[in-house]
Amino acid sequence: MRISVETSSGMPITRQVAAQIRAQCASGVIKPGERLPSVRALATDLSVNQNTILRVYERLTAEGLLERRHGDGTFVADRVPSGQMKAQRQRLREEIARVAELAKTLGVDAEEVHQLLDQEMK
Amino acid sequence: MTEPAIELRGITKSYGKKPVLAGLDLSVPHGSVVGLLGVNGSGKTTLMKCALGLIRPQAGQARLLGEPSWTLSAAAKARIGYVPQVVNLYPWMKVRHLLEYTAAFYPNWNDDLVARLTKEWDIPRDDRIGPLSVGQLQKVAIVLALGHEPDLLILDEPAASLDPVARRQFLQEIISLAEPGRRTVLFSTHITSDLERVADRVAILKSGRVTWHGLLDDLKEQTHVNLEESFLEMHNV
Repeated sequence: MRISVETSSGMPITRQVAAQIRAQCASGVIKPGERLPSVRALATDLSVNQNTILRVYERLTAEGLLERRHGDGTFVADRVPSGQMKAQRQRLREEIARVAELAKTLGVDAEEVHQLLDQEMK
Repeated sequence: MTEPAIELRGITKSYGKKPVLAGLDLSVPHGSVVGLLGVNGSGKTTLMKCALGLIRPQAGQARLLGEPSWTLSAAAKARIGYVPQVVNLYPWMKVRHLLEYTAAFYPNWNDDLVARLTKEWDIPRDDRIGPLSVGQLQKVAIVLALGHEPDLLILDEPAASLDPVARRQFLQEIISLAEPGRRTVLFSTHITSDLERVADRVAILKSGRVTWHGLLDDLKEQTHVNLEESFLEMHNV
């Protein structure tokens, strides 16, 4: 899991972190059932207030994306709720649209993009 | 519901004819980390000193950890850590002697924590206090305030004299010890980027009152700009 926080941004830190966790669940970087770092560990790692990270985990748990198992930690839900799945697919589409745009400006054709994608998804 | 860690109601304080706090209200919930922002001379230090019972306001009520600030019990005082803006320590003592001397006042002094911090923060234990630089003094004062693992930490410009390395180390220490719901921290700063990381709440002091207090995230949701821009905006800059 790779997360970064930008304090100079006008976007609240909870939104920044939540969006990155959602995106990484959608892209498969974080897999269903995977354990996330503890609130304390992630907060220290990002140098961000623990209450802030706690609120992110609480929000994503309410969305059904995460599961908090008492005394055991926070995990990505085994079954992501369908609404969430749809939202994640949408998110993935947007990412792909961005990649397609970039490929066009770089003059990379569809076939090459497919190959690159295949490599990344192995 | 438990009482807030700090409760200020209608605090008024003037120095001579100069009003500093004018009917100020601020309620700091338990377990939160509140960053206090205000321009020079806006009364941040006076606010903290009133909360701590170090100065007596002309009007209003100040309560700390459920007790009136002016008559805090020894038990309540033992749960507070305070780093003043201007650090005044015995210049003739060696750092390690001062640490031992302070430790003797607290039954729950955490020697391991103090040993770790002095090592990680490069504090010269065998040097005398007198010739230490302002930044080194500030580090010593912070360690002294953390040694008894206080429930409430009040820090007046704690990072002002620290170099970038020491500042980051200090911020990480505050982040790691401010566990949700457990420890309350109130700190003042001019460095808004530090505040955005360490604090989950922000209180803005202007014209002797707290003009905005709430979750940092809520402020950003409202303004869509970073804290520094909000702060400048509030001062019409």
